[in-house]
Amino acid sequence: MEIKEVFQTKEIKKTLEILEYYQHQCKIIAGGTDLIIQLREGKEKPIALVDISNIEELKEVKETAEWIEIGSAVTFTQIIGISYLQNKLAALVEAAASVGSPQIRNAATIGGNICNASPAADCIPPLLALDAIVVLQRKNIIREMHLEDFITDKGKAALEADELLTKIKFKKLQINQGLGFSKLGFRKALAISKISTAVYIDREQNNRCKEIRIANGALGRCGLREKKVEEYLLEKTLDKTTIHQGGIKLKEEIEKRLHGRSTVAFKKEAVIGVFQKAFKKALECCDTEGSI
Amino acid sequence: MKLEIVGENVIRVDGLAKVTGKATYPQDLYVDDMVFGKTLRSKKPHAFVKLDISKAEEISGVIKILTYQDVPNNHHGVLFKDHQVFCSKKVRSIGDSLAFVIATSEKAAEKAVAAIEVTYEEIEGVFDPIEAMKEKAPKVHDDGNILYHYKLRKGDAENAFEKCDVVVEGEYKTSMVDHAFLQPEAGLAYKEGDTIVVCAATQYPHFDQLEIAEALQLPLEKIKVINTAVGGAFGGREDITMQIHLALAVKVTGKPVKTVYSRQESFEAHSKRHPMIMYYKTGADNNGKLMAMEAKIIGDTGAYASWAINVLRKAGVHATGPYEISNVKVDSYAVYTNNPFAGAMRGFGAVQVPIGHEQQMDMLAEKLEIDPITFRLMNCFKVGSRTATGQVLEESIPLQKCIEEVAKAMDFEQKLEGAV
Amino acid sequence: MKRIQLKVNGKVYEVDIEEDMRLLDVLRDKLHLTGTKEGCGEGECGACTIIMDETTVNACMVMAFQGEGKEIITIEGVKGDHDLHPIQRAFLEEGAVQCGFCTPGMVLSAKALLDQNPSPTRKEIREGISGNLCRCTGYNQIVNAIEKASQYLRGEETKE
Repeated sequence: MEIKEVFQTKEIKKTLEILEYYQHQCKIIAGGTDLIIQLREGKEKPIALVDISNIEELKEVKETAEWIEIGSAVTFTQIIGISYLQNKLAALVEAAASVGSPQIRNAATIGGNICNASPAADCIPPLLALDAIVVLQRKNIIREMHLEDFITDKGKAALEADELLTKIKFKKLQINQGLGFSKLGFRKALAISKISTAVYIDREQNNRCKEIRIANGALGRCGLREKKVEEYLLEKTLDKTTIHQGGIKLKEEIEKRLHGRSTVAFKKEAVIGVFQKAFKKALECCDTEGSI
Repeated sequence: MKLEIVGENVIRVDGLAKVTGKATYPQDLYVDDMVFGKTLRSKKPHAFVKLDISKAEEISGVIKILTYQDVPNNHHGVLFKDHQVFCSKKVRSIGDSLAFVIATSEKAAEKAVAAIEVTYEEIEGVFDPIEAMKEKAPKVHDDGNILYHYKLRKGDAENAFEKCDVVVEGEYKTSMVDHAFLQPEAGLAYKEGDTIVVCAATQYPHFDQLEIAEALQLPLEKIKVINTAVGGAFGGREDITMQIHLALAVKVTGKPVKTVYSRQESFEAHSKRHPMIMYYKTGADNNGKLMAMEAKIIGDTGAYASWAINVLRKAGVHATGPYEISNVKVDSYAVYTNNPFAGAMRGFGAVQVPIGHEQQMDMLAEKLEIDPITFRLMNCFKVGSRTATGQVLEESIPLQKCIEEVAKAMDFEQKLEGAV
Repeated sequence: MKRIQLKVNGKVYEVDIEEDMRLLDVLRDKLHLTGTKEGCGEGECGACTIIMDETTVNACMVMAFQGEGKEIITIEGVKGDHDLHPIQRAFLEEGAVQCGFCTPGMVLSAKALLDQNPSPTRKEIREGISGNLCRCTGYNQIVNAIEKASQYLRGEETKE
């Protein structure tokens, strides 16, 4: 790597100026847990690096009447420690806690997890299930985008060269809305997900499924929504049979998508269990009081 | 009698240095004017190879690039000298050393390694030891691929099987394992008068000294090996990795030379545990007495012999497990392939065979409708037992007690009832 | 080349770095604080664990320039009132040190854990060192040592 300039910035404005000047030749670094490996393997060859991990504004988590807003440089350790997320958003906390190891969680950020768009990124499925919105900023322009549209392919996000992801936001959950997460890895710590699934459910009074969003990690080129399964489950009564059928439907989808891959025989079966766990947790979460 | 050490809690002599971070591993050594070495390794498992170092030599900071032409005696190896210091004509596995770049900085050395032009003329390789044993298989070395055949015969197994009431057969495989000691290989070498000093983390400083002296064709007393703190070994530091490269680099340049392997290079450079394929046939009479056992064990030693003979002999010797059997026939083989080479690793061939003999015991117990603990207790070694190799065990064989204690600790009887 | 200020173990160093250096490289190659080890270079093994602004990070996953303005503690900065830190003493007593290559990182992970949670359960200890690999001990002695260190730090007598 031939890096010529490195910057530690304290403000967004300065960062955007650097990005505007260097364009594609500059990489944003925060936790560094993905980028430094890419630099050493020669997969990224920037001439400048800008460190955003000291920008206070990007390290805040805010709660407004309707929304939760997470700054892009918020670390996983920070997310795990926020008390008001422990209740209705326990699934997001669980996903954050399942990342890497204490050392990785202390450094790695939610913004980095999203922008690197690893197929196995642990925080992407719950955020997709929450239908999160990313806020992107460049000099004089701020735009918003659904996370689902932002992640375009394996390792690719719709981030312009002079743009900075400043925050991720999603609507708070109400009673009868719930989020569940489940992950399968080879071991407890430092396991890259083999499958990770998040399920969001909006339940009607009559126990029917008013809205559902299912998102998977490590089951495609990037984190993605399972829309066919969602459609299938819509308006169904939320009981054991539905959960079972949902699992079977998901298995069929995965079998089609991973056709020809060596992992398909294993993953198509395992996904049923992972999905059912996430689904049950989402239903439990629907019962949880509190508006977050 | 009061014992000073046995039964006492003793603090290890190097503990203080290690717990304070002061213990010195070879990568922690820094000397004035030192230069850096980096190894070029084969990316193909079986190929004729030619190097063009001319462009790499032009890179700023490069002092010298060592290849086979620079080595006075281009061979080493713990049992057979079947490793080359740098491959001269042919590579036999991925990771084989081809050249060693000496440069003023690590970066320059890395650049030069990338700039060496390697022309591979690939040869058909063999990666399955069963295939490798066949007459027409590609040859890894000049002679056949069967490096070693160990035979163990006791009684008349063939005849005894006919008298058995139950016989079970199975085929078992174990996989290749890396030691993954936490400290990747590193070393520093320098001149002390006309003596070459090599500091490395090694399991065999005296043997390294001999191998370096032989390769460099120098008298033994002109080579000094200093063993630094060793960051784990488990058998993986018994073979030479960079020791000869460093000594040669010092001999040629006169400068202190340091090299540090990355984790990836460490995986490529040192030995592995032998993967084994084991065919077992074991028979007993209706009373549960083991009568006969036959085993064929094939160990894949990869491209080089290392300790294959000792490892496969040990696998053969231990093939019965700790059980008395009157009629035994064991054949174990060490076989060359183009896989990464296998050598010493904790247990040295004795840990693969239990996968086979213990599964056989469980299957026999099931057929005989005897619980597996009782079945083992009936047949296990006791004081006075004679092993398959004819050794009479004269003292201290507390296996029976050990099995009983384990069965008790795991509530075996209760669990067995629950399972049935 | 860039000159930065690094505060390591309470001491401020002016050091010239290459822009592409990792913090690990500066600590080892420039400051010769070699207690911080490199075992994998990709955040898997934790041998390069240091404490930066009170939390553990892998020094192989931090760029050198990112260390500016931070409070960095390496194994060389871990000391007790007299000589050894209670964690180090417990590691020695419990046989938690074998080859020693994981030990500095392990001690720092233990320190960060005990600084935040003076009475961790064994499960919390295991979670606390889950980013540090040890190939020798099988971890039990290390968990025992951290448990014992927590007792030392709380001023309790241990059984021995």
